[in-house]
Amino acid sequence: MTAYIIRRLLYTIPIVFGVMLVTFVLFNVVQGDVTDLIAGKAASVETREEIRAEYGWDKPLFLSWDSQFVNHLKNSATFNFGRSWSDREPIIEKIKRGAGPSLSLTVPMFLGTLVVSISLALLVAFVRGTIGDVVVVLVCVAGMSIPFLSFILFGQYFLGFKWGLFPVYFWPDLSTPQYVALPVLIGIAAGLGGNLRFYRTVMLDEIRSDYVRTAFAKGLTARRVLFKHVLKNAMIPIITQVVLAIPFLFLGSLLLERFFGIPGLGYLMIDAIGARDFQVISAMTYIGAILFVVFNLITDVCYSLVDPRITFD
Amino acid sequence: MRFFGVVIAALVVFIAGCDNSRPTSDSNEVVTYSAYAAKVRGLDPGDIGDTTSSAVASQIFECLYQYHYLKRPYELIPQLAEDMPQVSEDGLRYTIKIKKGVYFADDRCFEGGKGRELKAGDFVFAWKRIANIKYLSKNWWIFDNRIVGLDEFREYTKTVKKGEEVDYSRVMEGLQTPDDNTLVINLKKPLPQIVYLLAHLPTAAIAKEAVDYYGKDIINHPVGTGPFKLKVWHRGSYIELVKNPGFRAEYYPSQGAPSDVEKGYLADAGKRIPMIDRVLMVLVQEDPPRWFLFLQGKIDASGIPKDNFNEAIDQKGVLTAEMRERNINLLVFRDPSTYWLGFNMEDEVLGRNKPLRQAISSAVDREKYIHLFTNDRGEVAYGFIPPLMKDYDPGIRDFAPTGYDPEKARRLVKEAEKVHGGKLPRLTLSLAGTDAVARQQGDFYKRCFREAGLDIEIDYMDWPTFQNRIKSKSAQIFQLGWIADYPDAENFLQLFYSKNASPGPNNFNYSNPEFDRIYERASIMPDSAERIELYRRAERIVVEDCPAVFLLHGVAYVLQHDWIFNYKPHAFGYGLTKYRRIDSVRRSSYKELLRGIK
Repeated sequence: MTAYIIRRLLYTIPIVFGVMLVTFVLFNVVQGDVTDLIAGKAASVETREEIRAEYGWDKPLFLSWDSQFVNHLKNSATFNFGRSWSDREPIIEKIKRGAGPSLSLTVPMFLGTLVVSISLALLVAFVRGTIGDVVVVLVCVAGMSIPFLSFILFGQYFLGFKWGLFPVYFWPDLSTPQYVALPVLIGIAAGLGGNLRFYRTVMLDEIRSDYVRTAFAKGLTARRVLFKHVLKNAMIPIITQVVLAIPFLFLGSLLLERFFGIPGLGYLMIDAIGARDFQVISAMTYIGAILFVVFNLITDVCYSLVDPRITFD
Repeated sequence: MRFFGVVIAALVVFIAGCDNSRPTSDSNEVVTYSAYAAKVRGLDPGDIGDTTSSAVASQIFECLYQYHYLKRPYELIPQLAEDMPQVSEDGLRYTIKIKKGVYFADDRCFEGGKGRELKAGDFVFAWKRIANIKYLSKNWWIFDNRIVGLDEFREYTKTVKKGEEVDYSRVMEGLQTPDDNTLVINLKKPLPQIVYLLAHLPTAAIAKEAVDYYGKDIINHPVGTGPFKLKVWHRGSYIELVKNPGFRAEYYPSQGAPSDVEKGYLADAGKRIPMIDRVLMVLVQEDPPRWFLFLQGKIDASGIPKDNFNEAIDQKGVLTAEMRERNINLLVFRDPSTYWLGFNMEDEVLGRNKPLRQAISSAVDREKYIHLFTNDRGEVAYGFIPPLMKDYDPGIRDFAPTGYDPEKARRLVKEAEKVHGGKLPRLTLSLAGTDAVARQQGDFYKRCFREAGLDIEIDYMDWPTFQNRIKSKSAQIFQLGWIADYPDAENFLQLFYSKNASPGPNNFNYSNPEFDRIYERASIMPDSAERIELYRRAERIVVEDCPAVFLLHGVAYVLQHDWIFNYKPHAFGYGLTKYRRIDSVRRSSYKELLRGIK
C-alpha cells in the first residue's frame, strides 16, 4: 500500500503542474494587462514600468529560468504567494483568514445534506414504487432544476426579510450559528435534490441484493437491515461522493458567502475574479488542486478500509 | 445509526466552536450603521484610489483643507491649516501655517504609545512618499511636474533599490518647513487648483513613525489626526471606527446655504463634533441584502438598487406610500459627473469626418438611455461641464448643434459619406463589460446607429482590456465618463488638452490649438468671471468639434431613515460622518413601527 501511496503522490506533480499551467496561460496570455488598474488614472509610462517590474511582469512569460511561469512555480511550491495586487495584503493571510468562515458554512451544510439525503434515500428506497417515492423523486428533480441563486433569493426574502425567522445577512453582533443558519439551510435545501436521487439509486442497488432478502427472512427489523447492513454495503459510492466533496468545503461557497456576507474563501475567490487578481486566483486553484489530488488518494485508501476485498497489490 | 449520531454531534460541536460573535455595544453609545458596496482596498491615504477606501480613511486622516459642509457653491476652509494659504504675487509660492495642538491618535508606533503633535514635516513626508516611485502610489498625478524639486526627488528614488532605503530628509526647494508650523510650497508654474488638491485625501498628513513601524502593513494600521480611529477591520466583512479621544475641539458649522435652516441642517450649529461614538460599516456587495438591511432599519441610509427603484419611487418621482409609511426620506442631488461616447480623433474614419461624428451625436437617444439604464437618474448632457459646477454654462443646451434627431442624423450620414469619399465602413464601439447590462447597452446603440443608416459592431471586453485599448489609441468609439475631483471645471477641460493625449487623460486624442491656448491661459488663472468666461468658450469649442457624444450628467438618489440628521448631500466631501447626529430613541422605535406595518 505504501508503494501505491507514493506512486499516487508522484502523480500529483504533473497534475498540479498542468493545473498551474492552464491557469497561468488563462490569466497571463488570454486576459489583458492589469497594470493600469494598479497605476490609477493618469499614470505615467514610467510608473507602469515600475509596477511591472515590482510584480515581475516585465520578465518573459516562459522560456527562461527567471520567467514569470518558473517564478510562479517556485513561489507556489513554497506557498509564498506574495501580495495581492488589489490591496497589497499577503495572500496567505487572506487564505488563512477565510478558511474558518468558509468551513463554518460548508461543513454544517455538507454534513446536514449528507445526513438528510442518506436518511431519506434509505426510506424512499425502502418504499420504492409507492406514491411517496414518486413524489420525492419529482421534488428532487424540481429542486435540481431550480437555479441555486433562486434558492438564495427566495430564502433570503421569505425566511430572512419577510418572516424574520433568520438574520438576512451577517452582522457583527451575531454569533456564527445565527448568521450561518439561513445559508446552511438554503445550501442543504438546494443540494438535497441531486444528493437524494444519487443515494436513492445506490440504496436501490443494494436493497435488491440477496443478503437483504436473507436478512429479512431471518427476521431482522427493517431499521436494522437498512442502517446496519444496506448502509454499510453502500459505503463505496458514498465514500467516493463524500471524500471527494471535502476539498470543495475548504474553497467555500461562492454565491452563499457573497449573498450572506460570510468572509470566506468563496467570497475571496469571487472578489479576486472580479478584480482580475491573478495571484489570488492562482493560489486558490493551486491549493484546490492539491487538496483534490490528496483527497482522491484518501478515497482510494478508504475503499480498502470498508471493503476488505480491495487491495493495492 | 451511530454514524448519524457522530455526524450530528460533530455538526453541533463545529458550529458552537465557530462562535466568533462580538460583544454588543454599550447601549448609551451613539452608533451609525452603514453598508458599503465595494471592498476597502487599504487605509493608506497615499495609495488610495477608490471611493470606498477614501470614505473610510477620510474619517481617520485629515488634509490641510476641507470643504465647508453646508455652503454652496462649494467652498474650501482650513482643516489642519490655520488659515487659507498666503500666495505670492506670481502665484508660485504658497505659505501655509499649520494648526497648533493637533495630535496624531495614540498608537504603539509612537514613543510610549502616545500620539505626537502634528508638524509641517508630516505633509512633506507624505508627499515625498507619493513621489517615491518604489511606493507605486496611484496618486502621483497630483504632484506630477508641479512642485519644484519633487520630480527630481522621484528621479532619485529610481536609483534606490528598495523603497525603505529612500532618504526622505533630502532637502528640496519646492517643499520647505521653516519651522514646525509653517509649510512653504514652491510651484513650477501657477496652479490655483492646488488648494483643491490639498483637500484631497492622498495629500493627508502621515506620521513617518507609523510608516517605519508598520512597513507594508501600514494599509491595515491607519494612524491619523481625524475624529475617528480604527478599532476593528475584519477584511472583507466589516469596519468599526470609534471616536478618537484625542481629537481637537471642532464645532458644527453655524453658517450654510439659505435653505439649510428650513431643512434642519443648522439645528446643531456650534455643537462639538463628532456627535457619534462609533461607526460600523458592513460590506454588502449584493443589492438584495443591502436593500433588506435598509428596510429592516439595520443601516441608516442607502442608495436605491435598480431592481427596487419602483418600490421606492413612484411615477411622479417621489417616495412611494410604502417608504413614507416607514418615515423614510429621499435626497436627490446632482453628481459632478459626465458620461459620453468618446471618439478617437486619431482614427482615420472619425477624426477627419465631423459630419459623421455629428451624425452619431444626433443618432443617440440620450433620454431613452437615461430612462433605460439609470431609472431616470440622470440629466441629458449637452456639454461636458456638469450643472453642479459653478462654471456650468446654462446656454450650452442651445449652443450644442446636435441633439437626438434621427432625420438629421441620416442627412449628416450622407454628408459624411461625401467627406469620406464613398460608403462608410463599419464602425466599432468598445464597451467595458461583458454582463447583461453591457449587452443591453450594446443593443441600444446598435438600434440608434442603424436608424441613422450606420453600421456598428459592438466590442465587449473586460476593464483592463478596455483601458489598454484606449491608452494605446486603438479604440474607435468608446463609452466612458468622468467624475470631478474638485469643483473647478479645469478638471474636465484637461481631458481635452492636446498634451494630455493617450496614455494621458485625453482619451479622445483631441487637439485644437485654440482650445489649448484658452486652456493654458485659464488653468493658471485664479477664480474670476473672466476665467469662467474662458472655460465656457473652451467648452463650446469642444462641443462644436464634437469629439464625443455627451450623454448624461449623474443624479443621485439616497434614502435615509428619520433618525439620522445632518445628512446633507456633498459632491466632493469625504469624512462627513463627524457632522452626523443619530436619534437612538427613534431608531429603537422603528421596530415597533415595522410590527405595526406587518
